[in-house]
Amino acid sequence: MTDTAPATAARMPSVGRLLAAQISYQARLLASGRAITIGVGLPVILLIASHSSQTHTDAADIAGYAAFGLTMTAWNTYGVRLVAAREAGVLKRWRATPLPHWCYFLGRILATVGVAVLAGAATVAAGVLLYGSHLSVSGTLAALVALMLGALAWAATATALTAAIPTIEAAAPTFMLTYFPVIIISSTLGGISEPHWLSTIASYLPAQPLVHALSSSLGHTPGHALLPGRDLVVLAAWSIAGLAAAVATFRWEPHRPTQQRPARALYQPKPDDQSPPSSTMISVGPERLSPRHAATGRVGMPSR
Amino acid sequence: MTAIVVDRLTKCFGDFAAVDGVSFEVPDGQVVAVLGPNGAGKTTTLEMLEGFLAPTSGTVRVLGTDPHRGDRRWRARIGLVLQSTSLDAELTVRETLDVFAGLYPTPRPVGEILELVDLVDDAEARVGALSGGQRRRVDVAIGIIGRPEVLFLDEPTTGLDPEARRRAWTAVENLTATGTTVVLTTHYIDEADHLANRLVLLTAGQIVADTTPEVLRAQGGPATIRYRLGGGAPLADLPLTLAGYLEHDNHELLIRAEDITAPLRDLLGWAHLHDLDLAGLEVGPPSLEDAYLAAIGQRPIPEGTPS
Repeated sequence: MTDTAPATAARMPSVGRLLAAQISYQARLLASGRAITIGVGLPVILLIASHSSQTHTDAADIAGYAAFGLTMTAWNTYGVRLVAAREAGVLKRWRATPLPHWCYFLGRILATVGVAVLAGAATVAAGVLLYGSHLSVSGTLAALVALMLGALAWAATATALTAAIPTIEAAAPTFMLTYFPVIIISSTLGGISEPHWLSTIASYLPAQPLVHALSSSLGHTPGHALLPGRDLVVLAAWSIAGLAAAVATFRWEPHRPTQQRPARALYQPKPDDQSPPSSTMISVGPERLSPRHAATGRVGMPSR
Repeated sequence: MTAIVVDRLTKCFGDFAAVDGVSFEVPDGQVVAVLGPNGAGKTTTLEMLEGFLAPTSGTVRVLGTDPHRGDRRWRARIGLVLQSTSLDAELTVRETLDVFAGLYPTPRPVGEILELVDLVDDAEARVGALSGGQRRRVDVAIGIIGRPEVLFLDEPTTGLDPEARRRAWTAVENLTATGTTVVLTTHYIDEADHLANRLVLLTAGQIVADTTPEVLRAQGGPATIRYRLGGGAPLADLPLTLAGYLEHDNHELLIRAEDITAPLRDLLGWAHLHDLDLAGLEVGPPSLEDAYLAAIGQRPIPEGTPS
């Protein structure tokens, strides 16, 4: 060996450094795509368009559009990109590196949470700047907590869902179909008339609690909770359940296409097989082998 | 030292044995090409060596470790280039290499790697904007950036144009000069001939040959005499021993024989007698491709025979 040995003796990079580098790398990947433009830009455009003749808006409206931008990033963009990376072999490539598997996994989710919070915060900032909405320091901090927990809930659940999506072609439809109904019944983009039972279901899904928690933070008034406990519990439950399901079912490798292959005799292991090499086996001449192999004249042992 | 030990390795998918009792060892510093037709079990074997797949039975040890249980310190000693390019497209080549270099305890400097794979001029280009050949070289760069002791290359030049293939070969040759053990799979016989000092031929999940290119070539078939005949060649006087080898409307003599001494003597005598120009005469061993095709046509046991 020449200059290939040092890895055995040298110190491995610290896990903290690896995680920080991975979060930075994944955030740059996410932020450099066109999808982040949609996650940040579209909610702001919709907020302005829906209030074109008004000079004021309420906290619930801003919270709804902010949640829309956040979920677009943490669900659709993140989920589709994760399936694409898996099917392209990117995840498999990373899995073969010295980066701890959980480090890649966590780095990707935390980077998504960061970018999604940024998308939600951009809409809140637009609401404050354009419509003069009041935002206290405590309300800002509470809104950040709601955004972070909401982003984690959506990203964790999206990670779990990727295991059920076999191809990149199926990714976008699957994430859209599981996204828009939830967004609509949760009144994220404005109230709709819906039966009580549907509203009850929506209160257990991650969109409505996010909007509600964000709305409470942004429009906080004395005497009311900054962050409703029930909403936080629902979002935390989705985060934990999503992460647990993701850890249990996550796929690193692309789905292999199912092929009809000709039947071949199944190998029967023979632990005590000491049979001589097959006469059809071409073996190397001993002059080309290392001393270890020269005695037998073969470097490989034929199976039969 | 033995970098890789494979003993009676078997991998079944359902009742299909993709790899069927394969055994071989690879000493440190050797370059081994695993050859075989599609479905022979090359990639499955490689994926068990890389730790992606667990064997159904048998054992694998790479640098003394079961690859399926290899920890991050073990993975830092392994490099691999997967069958298909697998890179995030958004960042530049340099940014990508910087990120991967940070994973290893003693990575090669990024500038050195860029030179090694001939990507200095493309260092600031986005990976997604590169050609297929350039992206493949980024793959190779990532595979070797951690100074691997063992490098796995799964069809590293498939889809590349001839010039890109040559550049990739040079990158691998530069690496093997440092003592790295290399296992590569390829469909290109000339690639195996150029890079490897040992060939392992798989067919239907079993090894049918484990040898050097020279030995395989010598064992694979007869030697060849090829001679293009000019328009005025006196074919009427051609010795009877050669007349049966005329090809292409009597424009070429193509003789394949285990022992070419007699036909070559007859040909030289005939040419001398008629003062013929022998500048185009080719005498050579069988081609490695012919030898390879002959070898994979053989099986250790007939298909379906009970073991």
